[in-house]
Formats: sequence, C-alpha cells, structure tokens
Amino acid sequence: MNKQDVLKLSSMPLQSPTYPTGPYKFFNRQYMIIQYRSDPAMIRKLLPEPLQPDGDIVSVQWLDLPDGEGFGAYSAAVQTIPCTLNGEKCNFLVQMYVDNCPPLAGGREIWGYPMKFGQPKLVTESDTLTGELVYAGQKVASGTMVYKHSSPNDLSEIEAMLKRTQVTLKLIPDIDGTPAIAQLVGINFDKIVVKGAWTGRARLEMVPAVNCPMADLPVREQLGGLHIVTNMTLPYGKVLHDYLA
Amino acid sequence: MTPEEILKLPSMPAVAPSYPLGPYRFINREFMIITYETDPVLLRAAVPEPLVPNAENYVLYEWIRMPDSSGFGDYTESGIVIPCTFNGEPINYTAQMYLDDQPPIDGGREIWGFPKKYALPKLEVASDTLTGTLSYAGQSVAMGTMAYKWQEAPGGCEAQAKGMTKTSCNLKIIPDVDGSPKICQLVAYNLENITVKGVWVSPARLQLIPHVNAPVADLPILRIVGGKHFVSDLTLPHGRVLFDYIKDAAG
Repeated sequence: MNKQDVLKLSSMPLQSPTYPTGPYKFFNRQYMIIQYRSDPAMIRKLLPEPLQPDGDIVSVQWLDLPDGEGFGAYSAAVQTIPCTLNGEKCNFLVQMYVDNCPPLAGGREIWGYPMKFGQPKLVTESDTLTGELVYAGQKVASGTMVYKHSSPNDLSEIEAMLKRTQVTLKLIPDIDGTPAIAQLVGINFDKIVVKGAWTGRARLEMVPAVNCPMADLPVREQLGGLHIVTNMTLPYGKVLHDYLA
Repeated sequence: MTPEEILKLPSMPAVAPSYPLGPYRFINREFMIITYETDPVLLRAAVPEPLVPNAENYVLYEWIRMPDSSGFGDYTESGIVIPCTFNGEPINYTAQMYLDDQPPIDGGREIWGFPKKYALPKLEVASDTLTGTLSYAGQSVAMGTMAYKWQEAPGGCEAQAKGMTKTSCNLKIIPDVDGSPKICQLVAYNLENITVKGVWVSPARLQLIPHVNAPVADLPILRIVGGKHFVSDLTLPHGRVLFDYIKDAAG
C-alpha cells in the first residue's frame, strides 16, 4: 500500500480497519439511567481539573445498542459525574464497559471514551428493567427499575438532557511511553429523536472490584431511574482542554 | 485529580487504567508459527510503503499462548507477520492480530500500534497434535496443526533466542478527535531478556477461511514451508518511530 493511501485509513489494521470513519448513527438505542447521591470528596477526587463538581448526584447507566453504524450490536455500562467546565454544565464519563471491540477501540482512540471490556446487559425480566455488569467473571453491578410506570409529558426535557456535553479524559501514550495525547474532549450527540421515555423507582448495587471500580463512588442515597429509547448520531468531538499544551 | 496526576497516568480510564506502564514481562510464552508462501501481488498490497515484502513471499501465521504476562494477565493471540525490509534491513511487520483479552488489545494498539482485534484464538495440545484455532464473531477463520515436538530445531534454543532479537514493526494509526490522523507511524521495537526453553520444528498444515472482519485468508496459501514451536520468557519494551507518514509521506 502506498504512503498516501496509508494516511486515508480510518483505523488499524490496514487490511481490515477496526472501525470506519464517522459520524456514527445509532438506531433504537435504549438507556436505563439510575441516579444516586454519592460522596462529595470521592467525586472531587475522580474529576480531572479543571472540571468542577456540579452537585453530588451521579449516575450509572446501562445501554442496549442493537444497531450502531460500523460497530454492530452491543451493550454498555457507564458511570457519570455531573460537572462544569468554565461554567458550562457537562457530564464527565468516569468509566465505561462494553462487550464489543470495534466501539471499544474506536471509542478510546477517537474520543477517549474510558472503555474497558466487560459484559454489560440490559434486559426486561418479567416486570423489571434489569441491568447487569460482569467483569472478569465476577458480577460487579446490578440495577433494577420498574418497567414503564410513568412517562414524562415533555420529551424535550429528555432531549435536552441527552444533549448535555459529555466530557472524557483522552490519554494515548507515545511509543516511548510518554503521553502523546492528554486532553479533555467534549462530545455532543446530534439528531436526537426520543422515541420513548419513562421514569420510576430504581435500585442499584455495586461490588468492589479493582479493575472495574464502579463501587468507588458509593451509594449514599438511592434516587430514581430513567428509561429512554432514542435514535441519535455520534459525531466527532472537540478538544476542551489540552494538558500537554 | 490534578494535571500532574493526569500526566502520570499510564492509560484510560483514570479510575482504573487498562494497562500499567511498561516494560512488560512474559513468562512461558509459547509460540506456534507456520510459514507459508503466498501471492506476491497480494503480499505487496498488504504491506505499507516504505516497507518492502520479502523476496520469497513468505508469510508467518502465528498462535501465541501467554499464560503469565505482567499487567495483562493470561491470554492467547493469533495473527499474521510478514518478513520485510526497511532501508534494506530485515524487519518483521505485523499485519493482523486477534486476541481474547482487552487490556493487551488497548495497550498494544495505543502504545505500539499492534493491529489487534478481539477474537477467540486457542493453542493447545490435542492428543498428538499441537493445534491452533481462531474464531471471530462466532465463525471459525483459521486452523493450524503441527506434529508435537517432532524434532529439535537446528541451532536449538540459542539460535532461536538470537533470531527473536530481530526488529519488529507495526503501522500505528490513532485518529484525532475530529477524525483526522493524529498519529500515523511505522513503529519499531526489539524484544529483550529472551530465554528460550525449547524449540522444535515439524511438518504443519494450515487452513484459512475468508472473513471480512478477520481477513486472514486474504493472503492465500500457495505452499506450506513448515512449522516451528517454541517456549520462551521475554520482555516487551517501549519502541521508536521508524517513519512518520504525517511528516514524511510527501517524500
């Protein structure tokens, strides 16, 4: 392959790139978002400066992604901390677990999504919307929510919530082991269509595990759940802060 | 988390980095390598310039069992290596790799640009046969077999250890957040502190099945040259940039 064609490759390997170029459309993307009150000192510790905490209500989310362009079908579990950057409200993604390598590699390499391989699952079990996360053979998180008990009247609030800027800490080493990329990256979903949304009671349980430390943000108070089905587009992101600059 | 703490992190996520800082020590790393001859035109297309594929049109199809790897754990790998030259110097180019453990996939891609994807490779002794298999997205895509410890390799462990110091390279591609290329380099490394515990050669057979996302069969088998089986301890250190496509591709 000649040098100019090498520069056009979307990703490694040359013979079959792991992911194509974006943007990436998602169809019937389903969320279960469980909010809980956590420990303010731990929130401060996990937030990279210059992000500032925005309250002590964090979330664990399960996602079922049955149809993602370039990526296929997979599931994810995510922990987020609300924060501000220069006064703008955003959500910092602390840790993410997915069961499919192309979105994992693309997620890390393009946007710095803090993804590791795990086995998340979001299913409806009889009357319960149920999320599970297994890492290295151990169950480390489970969440449950009542199934479609009540629906908000105004879906535009849900859309506004999904539009809130996601922030990641993108770290890519150089070949000599020094940092090549160390940035805060901002991501805004595009073309969001909320197909359904429900609120209701929810419970969350997390088990301490060293390589999947969701329980490091402890549950101080169980709050509610939010169940959403959407179509949306994941575009490229923008650099919000460069630690090497 | 302060900027100083952030710049000391080895990898994402900050709360539990996928992989630690190197170097990485491997104990009892077991290889089965089946060498075959392929089509020269397809081989040229699979190798990025300025690398030049070997004149014999040889391809190395590998299975590697790694039961004890610092930072990465216990995993297995399978893939394709193409002997090449860079400015006339012999170098091994890694074309495809499939493994069953995400931290070495992430670290492999992000540090050295190893072209790794997730799949289910297996290397095991099944009665009298050293057997490698590879399954990708539920489908079998490769099967290799060697007669078990048939004959000690000429030169023994010492010659094998020397051979393993040969420079290897990868095409490292990391996009920027806007989708443009941020890192696009040929990256080289050399294994260190190599101890070979045994090395054998034997007849071998290899079957490769066409699959779009694990295209191991894209370099067709014209003739099997032979198989090699060895067990070693070794260290994988950081590496160096050989060629930077963003800076040097115009030349």
